[in-house]
Amino acid sequence: MSANAGAFIVVLLIWLGIFIYIFRLDKKVRELERK
Amino acid sequence: MWWKILTGLLIFTVLVIVFLVPPPQKELGGISRIFFFHVPVAWVTVLALFFAMINSIQYLKRKEPVFDIRAAVASQLGFLFASLATFSGAVFARHTWGSYWNWDPRETSIFILLLIYGAYLALRSAIAEENRKANLSAVYSIIAFITVPFLVFVVPRVYHSLHPSDSVINTKAGFQMPPSILMIFLCSLSGFSLLFFWMYELEVRIIRLRKRLKKT
Repeated sequence: MSANAGAFIVVLLIWLGIFIYIFRLDKKVRELERK
Repeated sequence: MWWKILTGLLIFTVLVIVFLVPPPQKELGGISRIFFFHVPVAWVTVLALFFAMINSIQYLKRKEPVFDIRAAVASQLGFLFASLATFSGAVFARHTWGSYWNWDPRETSIFILLLIYGAYLALRSAIAEENRKANLSAVYSIIAFITVPFLVFVVPRVYHSLHPSDSVINTKAGFQMPPSILMIFLCSLSGFSLLFFWMYELEVRIIRLRKRLKKT
């Protein structure tokens, strides 16, 4: 695997992790605000 | 809600395209792709600290706690993004100039900025009484922002620097990049700005929710 492909996968996984975390936190906050 | 999905898609698209197109500066090689991350993050730092100043002014005018919360959150995010800009800059410096830190004017000025806003965070954590904390933080935030344009835009241009100059806007106030690179850059800038707004809005809501739950 080339260095570029490796870097791309690492960066992509980091971004997916951040996005999923923020998205789920947002969902949790909306549920709490409804209560 | 739609703009949150757009943020995710925008940044994902930028990530894919950045690795598909040739690096923006062929002489520097693949590491120059960091430009599409480093510059937008630095821009968001300025945006966040500007927001902090505006909310601080609003707090001093209206004395409503929500403005203090917004100013504090904006400052925290500004500090976070400044740290990310420093870190990505250090990675670029290691590959380009051989060491992570060179006390270059650009590096030194962002370090000073981190100290100034680190002091803001320390100030807030040192004062227990809410009104006093809010008042002092607001005054500090307004004065601290006066240094931001100077440290970010002026100092690195006055002194000779290793940092690439005029990589975004040239001396004739026009865009320096070819149209294809400019498009990717603007998408990245928009994506990171939206990400900042999302994180900012979320954190303000969390703090207000915590305060509401504390009262009940």
